[in-house]
Amino acid sequence: MSAPAVLARRAMARVGLYVFVGLVLVFFALPLVWLVTTPFARTPSYRVPAPSFTLHNFRILWDNPYAVRSIGNSLVLAGGTAVLAVVFAGTAAYALSRVRLPGRDAVLYAVLLLSSIVTGTAAMVPIFLMLFQLDLIDNRLALVLVLTGGLLPSAMFILKDFMDTVPRSYEESARVFGASPFQILRHVVAPVVRPGLATIAVWAVVQVWGNFLLPYILLHDPAKQPAAVIMYTFYDEGGQPNFALISTFSLLYSVPVVLCYLVVNRRYGFRFQGGIKG
Amino acid sequence: MLFVAPALALIAAFLVFPALWTLYLGVLKYDLAGSNAAAPQFVGLGNYRDALTDPRFANSLLLTVAFVGLSAVLGQNVLGFLLAAVLRDAASWVRGVVNAVVLLAWILPGTVVVFLWQALLDRGGGTLNALLGTPGAAWTLDHPLATIVAFNIWRGTAFSMLLYSAALGAVPRSQLETARTYGAGPLRTLRDVVLPHIRGHVLTNTLLITLWTFNDFAPYMLTGGGPDHRSETLPVYVYRTSIEGGALGYGSAISLIMLIVNLAIALFYLRLLRRRSA
Amino acid sequence: MAGIGLSGVTKTYPGGVTAVDGLDLTVHDGEFFALLGPSGCGKTTLLRTIAGLEQASAGTVSIGDRDVTRLAPGQRDVAMVFQDYALFPHMTVLDNIAYPLRVKRIPRAARHDRAREVGAGLDLADLMARRPAELSGGQQQRVALARAVVAHPKAFLFDEPLSNLDARLRLSARTFLKRLQRDLGITTVFVTHDQAEALAMADRIAVMDAGRIRQVGTPREVFGRPATSFVAHFIGSTPMNLLDATVTGGRLTLAAGTLPCPADLPDDTRVTVGIRPEYLTYSKDPVEDALAGTVGIVEHLGSSSLVTLETDGAAPVGVVVEEGAEPEPGTRGWAVPRPGRVLLYRAGGGDLLA
Repeated sequence: MSAPAVLARRAMARVGLYVFVGLVLVFFALPLVWLVTTPFARTPSYRVPAPSFTLHNFRILWDNPYAVRSIGNSLVLAGGTAVLAVVFAGTAAYALSRVRLPGRDAVLYAVLLLSSIVTGTAAMVPIFLMLFQLDLIDNRLALVLVLTGGLLPSAMFILKDFMDTVPRSYEESARVFGASPFQILRHVVAPVVRPGLATIAVWAVVQVWGNFLLPYILLHDPAKQPAAVIMYTFYDEGGQPNFALISTFSLLYSVPVVLCYLVVNRRYGFRFQGGIKG
Repeated sequence: MLFVAPALALIAAFLVFPALWTLYLGVLKYDLAGSNAAAPQFVGLGNYRDALTDPRFANSLLLTVAFVGLSAVLGQNVLGFLLAAVLRDAASWVRGVVNAVVLLAWILPGTVVVFLWQALLDRGGGTLNALLGTPGAAWTLDHPLATIVAFNIWRGTAFSMLLYSAALGAVPRSQLETARTYGAGPLRTLRDVVLPHIRGHVLTNTLLITLWTFNDFAPYMLTGGGPDHRSETLPVYVYRTSIEGGALGYGSAISLIMLIVNLAIALFYLRLLRRRSA
Repeated sequence: MAGIGLSGVTKTYPGGVTAVDGLDLTVHDGEFFALLGPSGCGKTTLLRTIAGLEQASAGTVSIGDRDVTRLAPGQRDVAMVFQDYALFPHMTVLDNIAYPLRVKRIPRAARHDRAREVGAGLDLADLMARRPAELSGGQQQRVALARAVVAHPKAFLFDEPLSNLDARLRLSARTFLKRLQRDLGITTVFVTHDQAEALAMADRIAVMDAGRIRQVGTPREVFGRPATSFVAHFIGSTPMNLLDATVTGGRLTLAAGTLPCPADLPDDTRVTVGIRPEYLTYSKDPVEDALAGTVGIVEHLGSSSLVTLETDGAAPVGVVVEEGAEPEPGTRGWAVPRPGRVLLYRAGGGDLLA
């Protein structure tokens, strides 16, 4: 091929690349435009507003009896689940990483598959029935336990990879000095795998924060419902969405996960930390 | 043992037990209301027979396969890989911006996202209609499957992108350079160097996004399964029959069929994975 | 302080692999003792069994006059320094050194005082606020030692303490470790695969192979009179010549010549003759009672050279010659054993006969 032809081909490839990236950007950014503009519009609707600015919609949000409280509920659920998931998955992953049992990996895989299958809609009937018959509907602790149970296999799976990277000599060294298993876990292992624990915590928060189905079927008292569920109550009598509420609430409700993302991105870089391997 | 106990207890209670319960409910004629609510009737495999002969179930299964195939196996996988590959050599600000919007689509709460898409696709004032100059086009009604496919690609591509950028980062530079010295073009390099390296990642990724998409409930929030069951994937079908329709036993039977399909998918991928390591 | 006694110690892993096989050993109080052997010989398993990190399948371990076979590692009052030092990356040097005292629930101020004192003794005073990742290999090793010293144990256990240092540092660390051990006077067992290290540092050495001890002795004994041909082959920086021979009329017949037999053995006994290259004298002229060959390779060792004499069809003979006296390759040469330095082993990898 002649030199100009090569150059022309290169240029074409570049242009193609930029067009591709541009299209992808538009595709992904388009739905987000509404989120950042409508909360400040004078007459919010599905239509992306013409430039205008008001904080009036936030006033409406503040006055709604359930809106702000539901964010609090979401925080409680997400925080509680994150703590339990980190503690239980951490201890379990540590033990599994250290104990050599036949078939351990197979069991772990099985539970992981089960979780990615069962946590969704497939299990909602039995879970609903179970908590209904135990009279635990509207019980937030029960919901946190259900959520934790669903997240544990993946969390254990990811954390076990982290635990596997902790040299055994660390623990053996501590053992020779007389440290108990709990002391080893607290003094040595937990601090060393802290990035992994943080990853799991953030991941759990994001998962719970967006979860609609489980709180929807397990919490019926609007005063206890989290943001994901409450958002569906922002309709007027005619079934028309209350855009002032919905748009501002969407924004408020999105801020924590975006913050989470920023923190993770800054501290660890938003990457997989060996959690998922081929 | 003490370390594993809490995690195992939660997994047993909220994953294994519901799964078993699903098995049990599936052989009952058990409804949320009416005479079968008080005294469920044993119908053996009746529910399964009903499901497997129900044209609505067949339709739903077919839709799910199309939904998973188009949006996850093809859409997220390919787009995610392309983005990871393209962004690898892109300017850092381009990478930053694309990363941010793609990840935002992934981490925003589900309920918010659904509203964003309703605003995007709304018949009257939707952004898409305004942009394309097609006022009044009812995307969710006219193209329900395409809508949920596009939605799921938008929602989930981030995961594949992250995983593939990690995987591509692990392909040794020296091998890429070796391929270049021998004059291999991009496609050849992809086939001979990159793909063999990341085959495990491709399989893991495809497995995970397949399972997630298969059990994804979000289509319900976008189209409600309609119109005329044209976007009624299996999770939506389960929800509509068991929770809305109150046929708990029947819903459980379908759940179990879903579990089995999931298991089959998982085993299929694991086989492929094992063949790789053999 | 205390000696260490092992009696009939066996360690068999669940898979059926026997790492340590019915082993008896006594380490005296205050002794600097080396467990030496090739990788996989069971030396590290033995050390870990003394520490309690592995449970002996059979036999007893005692430290001082206490039977510790069934005790947990923390109750045995030993301190171990690991091959990778096992410094905790999230703790400062000070906290690392003080860690054994933290486990013993000694108040923070007291344990920090003690850690500073020990650290200063090991020349770590300026590094107390750093983290292990910010230290050089030698500094990390000293921190690991300080952490062991602070625990004030009855015995030290070192697993390949020098293997993570580069070659030059290893020499000074050898001197340093030996001095530290002598000053503290604490019974110390260390594991190494490097025979030079064992010879240089230890008061006594146990040479191990395949889970058994092949010889226990002072460095001089182990070097000068290896108890088996395995030990003979393993010890020494230039490998010992091990040559097949037959006894005929009070003389040894080898492929490269004949030598007087140092022991009274019946005719036709097949033996393996062991002579260190250092104990052979090179001659360019034919001499009596010597091994003859053609000069092949000459390797420079520094102040001396290793000359390989090729013999027709049989194993070559290595000879160490003085600097400047190296022969030309291709010439004929003779190697004369120094008096009393010819060792005889039972043929086929056997024990020392004479």
